[in-house]
Amino acid sequence: MRILAALALPLLLSAQHDVSAGASKNPAIQDPVAIAAGAKLYATSCGGCHGPDGIGGRGPNLVRQLQSHQLKDDELFAAIRYGVPGTDMPPTRLSDAETWQLTAYIRALTGPASDSKVPGDAAAGERLYWSAKAACADCHAILGKGSRMGPDLSNIGGSRPLTYIRQALTPPKNDPSRNFALMGKEGVTVTMKNGVVLTGIARNRSNYSLQLVDKQGDLHLINMADVKALTVKDHSIMPEDYGTRFTAGEMRDLLAYLATQTIRPSETGAK
Amino acid sequence: MRIILLALLTVTALAAQVRDEDILKGAGENWTTYAGNFEGWRYSPLTQINLQNVANMVPKWTYHVPESNGLRTSPIVYNGVLYITNSNSVHAMDARTGRLIWRYDDGLAKRKGVNRGAAIYGDAVYFTTTDNYLVALDRRNGALLFNKKFADAETGTISTSAPLIVKNKVLVGSAGGDTGMRGFIAALDPKTGNEIWRTWTVPGKGEPGSETWSDLHEWGGAATWLSGTYDPASNTLFWTTGNPWPDYAGKPREGIDLYSCSVIALDLETGKLKWYFQFTPHDLHDWDAQSWPVLLEIPWNGAMRKVVAHANRNGFFYILDRETGKFLKATKLIDNITWASGIDDNGKPVIIPGKEPTVEGNWVCPGVKGGTNWMGQSYNPGTGLLYILTQEECGMFTLSTQKPVPMKNFAGGAATEPGGPVLIRAVDPKTGKRVWEYPVGNYSRMWTGTVSTATGVLFSGDDDGHMIALDAKTGRHLWHYNVGDTLTASPIIYSVDGKEYVAIAAGTNVFSFGLFEPAQPMALPAITMEK
Ligand code: HEC
Ligand code: HEC
Repeated sequence: MRILAALALPLLLSAQHDVSAGASKNPAIQDPVAIAAGAKLYATSCGGCHGPDGIGGRGPNLVRQLQSHQLKDDELFAAIRYGVPGTDMPPTRLSDAETWQLTAYIRALTGPASDSKVPGDAAAGERLYWSAKAACADCHAILGKGSRMGPDLSNIGGSRPLTYIRQALTPPKNDPSRNFALMGKEGVTVTMKNGVVLTGIARNRSNYSLQLVDKQGDLHLINMADVKALTVKDHSIMPEDYGTRFTAGEMRDLLAYLATQTIRPSETGAK
Repeated sequence: MRIILLALLTVTALAAQVRDEDILKGAGENWTTYAGNFEGWRYSPLTQINLQNVANMVPKWTYHVPESNGLRTSPIVYNGVLYITNSNSVHAMDARTGRLIWRYDDGLAKRKGVNRGAAIYGDAVYFTTTDNYLVALDRRNGALLFNKKFADAETGTISTSAPLIVKNKVLVGSAGGDTGMRGFIAALDPKTGNEIWRTWTVPGKGEPGSETWSDLHEWGGAATWLSGTYDPASNTLFWTTGNPWPDYAGKPREGIDLYSCSVIALDLETGKLKWYFQFTPHDLHDWDAQSWPVLLEIPWNGAMRKVVAHANRNGFFYILDRETGKFLKATKLIDNITWASGIDDNGKPVIIPGKEPTVEGNWVCPGVKGGTNWMGQSYNPGTGLLYILTQEECGMFTLSTQKPVPMKNFAGGAATEPGGPVLIRAVDPKTGKRVWEYPVGNYSRMWTGTVSTATGVLFSGDDDGHMIALDAKTGRHLWHYNVGDTLTASPIIYSVDGKEYVAIAAGTNVFSFGLFEPAQPMALPAITMEK
């Protein structure tokens, strides 16, 4: 886990990143029938360890892990067939066809939300997103609207899987990959030696310097030699109660809206 | 201590918009446009690093650019933040420490390719994706403001150059001229990305100049893959254009192929062509007129004259009148030129017959990389000299017997790049004569231009991966540092907190150098993790 975290670090610092691993040759990839068959296989052979929807359990959260540590289709195929030697990830005895179906399912589970049809009323989700009840715009911007302190959501559907977005809104408890996912997104309060106090997100920090974006979107480049005290939140500053604040219908609509947020609306599968 | 605190406060307080007059001022603390100033000088008025203390220059930080390869980016610096681009991405870092602040990646772009840099204006940083989207990002935090397509990659056009921003217009060029496309320069609205005007560098059917083409006219190339320069007094843009396509096959494009291998002068407001000058009519050797046109005022026949200076890939150095495009002078930029015996009084090359690409192959000097290339030239007003990276490389040019098909990556032939001496040459624009030269290698692998300071220090790189400093007046060696990679882009100069830095993207990293200072031991601040 620790090694993976180190690998994942540079990618997690990014606002948005490439999820389009090289185009695949196998016909199962992106085939809805194969994906459905793969989902069944997943529930029986994998879900016990990786959790429903890949949210993690005894095995890692696949959705988060594969965001930062991408595998090509044939690498995914090999991981499923041969397992990860020396770890709890076992080999399988599935046929080639079944293994490709599973690969197609994992790919769909971890591919951009805008690539698939997402149920829900996106227009209702849009109203909810910009409402005071949700207050997403207190921390997030979409195409220049809203606070620019937190991650930009203009391409959230084009860059993240639906499961990932759902997990951001309803974070699984005790997700082992959650802590390093906060790199570059930590909520901090900085007390400068001259008495100035700044709060916001540390886009980056080390023992020697800190790059902070505040709620107004302003950037503060801080030399740690000038800092008296620094407080870092060990959890996301994003509210964790959206699962109860919203009805199931509201959550579905919000997800449908977020899934359509892509910087290439005319070029993706978004409807 | 007190100084640092004050500086910290200014970094925050100065969060002001980048205005036209800020860019017009040219380089200083900030480096706000591709070539440092609108005139294309790549010159810094900063004086902290000088001929004596440059010997104490050390690397201050290194930033590794993930998934990069042969970075072509020229950094932009504003308010203590340094911006670089890679294929479909922008990285913003703390210019004092090299720590990443934000990164934007367009993972949905249809093409990947080199990118030469960003531009800055208002509160936004601009760059183009390989598949021709103009992207505007909040310069402070990387939030996406808009992205808007200005050309279709399906028509062979891709985008590689840094936008040039002048008076509320984002000027973008076009690339892809080696596989067939139609070149253009477009002015886009910085608030929306909407098109204000577009000027094609290959005239449409029936338009003046179209008679200089034949069969494949619509795919003629003349790409505009480097940023241009701008003259505020006449409100004119100057832009160079690339080779005609197919690069090595002249048959499908009989005529002089306007406006390929030219410099064109355009009215900023309308994009209307004021004048053009073609360096290589009916080019057959892929000698794009790429390096940007440098704007100077020099004594000429007893009076001061506004001119355009241009070091061309075809091996000659040109001086043109800036107002009219009239040819004034050309001299040999390199020694080895075998395709023309000189440039006549009208600016036309005196062709030596029999040097076109042939099926068997024809050995021609300069080679395809040219006497110089997009690393371009810089100018120092103190020495009055231009600094040009030149190559004494020749090559074998062959002609294909296949029929050219647009966008099939077919250049109509091929050319070899066997290597050859590379030299930085200081050229006096008043005479076109070389004043000094400094050898920087033998293989022509690098792509590094020059930058110089008010204190007469010239920075560049060599073919062996060294960043170097020379005396701008004499070419004397002052300093070198091995970056451990091939140098693939040009250096820039900036300062933060009163400290001067020289930065360069090389291979897969960005380096920033400054004068040696002993480290100040510090006590780590108290850090509390909050539940
Ligand atoms: C017994 C528990 C267990 C089961 C069952 C299991 N996994 Fe895993 N899996 C793990 C563990 C633990 C890891 C982390 C291995 C490591 O530390 O690298 C892992 C890692 C992975 C990875 C990441 C490999 C990499 O190189 O990053 C993938 C993909 C994966 N599992 C898919 C599956 C699929 C598909 C199935 C069903 C066929 C499955 N796993 C079944 C425990 C399990
Ligand atoms: C108080 C500030 C705050 C509010 C309010 C807030 N968020 Fe967040 N959000 C964050 C921060 C900080 C992160 C990054 C850390 C993390 O992943 O939790 C984040 C992460 C996310 C992510 C994951 C982004 C990625 O690319 O990894 C999504 C999606 C998201 N938020 C959606 C929303 C939506 C939708 C709302 C409104 C319902 C909302 N947020 C409200 C602060 C906030």
